[in-house]
Amino acid sequence: MLRIRNLHVAIDGKPILKGVDLDVGSGEVHAIMGPNGSGKSTLAQVLAGRGGYEVTEGSIVFRDHGNLFLLPPEERARAGLFLAFQYPVEVPGVANVQFLRAALNAQRRARGEPDMDAFDFLEFVKAKLALLEMDTGFLYRSLNEGFSGGEKKRNEIMQMAVLEPTLAILDETDSGLDIDALKVVAHGVNALRSPDRSIILVTHYQRLLDYIVPDRVHVLADGRIVRSGDRELALELEDKGYGWLGEPEPEGRPQP
Amino acid sequence: MNATALFDAVDTATVPDWLTGTRKAALDRFMAAGLPDAHAEDWKHTSLQHLAQAELHPPPSTIGEAVCPDVTAYPGHVLLFQNGLLSCHGTYLSNQIAGTLHHLGDTRPVHDYLGHVADANALANLNLALWQDGARLYVPAGERLAMPIFAVYAASAPDAMLHPRTLAVLEREAEAVLVEHYLGQTHRPYWQNAVSEIVLGDGARLTHIMVMEEGPQSTHTRTTAVRMGRDSDYRALHVGLSGLLGRHDLAVMMDDPGGQVRIDAADLAAGRRHADLHLRVDHRAERGTSRITYRGLADGRGQAVFDGRVVVAHGANQTDARQDSKGLLLSRQAEIDVMPRLEIHADDVNCGHGASVGQLDHAALFYLRSRGIGEAEAQRLLIEGFMAGTLGLLDEVHLRAWLMPNLQAALARREAKEHGHG
Repeated sequence: MLRIRNLHVAIDGKPILKGVDLDVGSGEVHAIMGPNGSGKSTLAQVLAGRGGYEVTEGSIVFRDHGNLFLLPPEERARAGLFLAFQYPVEVPGVANVQFLRAALNAQRRARGEPDMDAFDFLEFVKAKLALLEMDTGFLYRSLNEGFSGGEKKRNEIMQMAVLEPTLAILDETDSGLDIDALKVVAHGVNALRSPDRSIILVTHYQRLLDYIVPDRVHVLADGRIVRSGDRELALELEDKGYGWLGEPEPEGRPQP
Repeated sequence: MNATALFDAVDTATVPDWLTGTRKAALDRFMAAGLPDAHAEDWKHTSLQHLAQAELHPPPSTIGEAVCPDVTAYPGHVLLFQNGLLSCHGTYLSNQIAGTLHHLGDTRPVHDYLGHVADANALANLNLALWQDGARLYVPAGERLAMPIFAVYAASAPDAMLHPRTLAVLEREAEAVLVEHYLGQTHRPYWQNAVSEIVLGDGARLTHIMVMEEGPQSTHTRTTAVRMGRDSDYRALHVGLSGLLGRHDLAVMMDDPGGQVRIDAADLAAGRRHADLHLRVDHRAERGTSRITYRGLADGRGQAVFDGRVVVAHGANQTDARQDSKGLLLSRQAEIDVMPRLEIHADDVNCGHGASVGQLDHAALFYLRSRGIGEAEAQRLLIEGFMAGTLGLLDEVHLRAWLMPNLQAALARREAKEHGHG
């Protein structure tokens, strides 16, 4: 599904990612954890194709689309990649429903499918709203404008439900959510898990992983993946914090 | 523009008889003042000097081949003027209520108000001297016209100088929707110099939509003057879509208490278009409210100018006046000048304004693209979103479906033009 090799990324000449390797298979859920400033969000943004990042080395191959760097953001999305933003952008004057339909139809056209008309789209999107426990009023508000932090995050997952990506990257989707909202969002994400949809959860805290259980956990620190493991690794991080990560692998030195 | 031609034009404009003296006096005032020049404070951003050199002439006084577009495209009553003269009459309303200034009979409101409402600026004087025809709307007290009245002013004669004139009088508690649609049908230069006079009786309500969709080499100047009665309600939407130069002076006078004014304006200045909107709202009595919302968009070498002046006179207490003006720059050579002005001479008022000029939000653009929306469509969505704040009135009078295709076509032309220039 996704293969990242030796990825180096800099911003304004300052290296942020310093050789990331990552393989995500079909249907797998991977968590990428790490302290603030470790490069987690940079990785998410580079995958989605945001400008302003210099990729100085390495490659990303997504499905059969070859090198991801050759594709502009809209083509990555049409190829099935989705980023749930850490800070969803407010777009005044563009109704949520108008935006969602434009996005879905742009993707359908790219697949050679006909546009979904307004009536069919409304039926389709109502089911997705229900999944996230959102009322139809959300559809007619300006995109993210005046939404609370929790509403924005729900709206991101709602978009994921509408667009049905093959690879979803959730960037700090848990931040700013109270426990009830977290459960709703996690329920939505779990409902979207399927054997042909992979998910990357980028998160600072292991709390989210209580609700969305990952297959693999990676720790990103100072621009590199320094440790990979199963769910236990997340619990260990919860216990010890990120401080010990600078130390060599525990197996590599005598236990005190 | 030569003086002899102007005097000849006044001599041939014989209707109605009782106006002949007024016409001549108005032309004398225009000749004395001349076209506005850049030394006048109000005209420092906009020059009409090209009109002084242009060989413009009054249009033929009879209709040649009338181009009667599909009037069914207008969801309401239609009075269509082609090169200054009535060419299509699509209304079952009585002539007393909706007709033309040319066939005014002895309609009292025309005698009372024509030429008395519009501020006697040079351009309004020239129109008063030379107008040939235009829409006349009169709504008797307490009556409400269910459907909008469309006054369409189409220009197809190259190098013509047209002076369309509109008069709308709503008596006490009357209600109507008036749409003025200026439509260019030639790629050659021409000049439409319009005047609209609006008189609202006590408690009357007018929704007034003005759409400027002029030809690419045209000059459009217009003066709109509104006189408001006690507790009356004036809601206006100005939409400037095309034309080489557009200048609109809109002045609202509130001499009586409790008036409510809402003016929304969207101006699109693409290519080399220059779009200038000057508003003036005079609060001269208590309890008046005004809401002004402006969105100007400039692309290519276009320039958008907005001057919003609200004057609260001494004693006009409990005035509530707000202005919100924003500009969106889409190219490096484009320019936007936004000038909100508040002059307050009363003590007990609630007034404010906000103004800003910015560019397309790159974060928003990336956000839309990250969902699969192509760059051009994402830009279009953001531009429509930017303008959306001024288009709400369309929903209230059910005219969104009528106007949006024209607006979207203008945006598509903008896109083609800018991409065409590389």
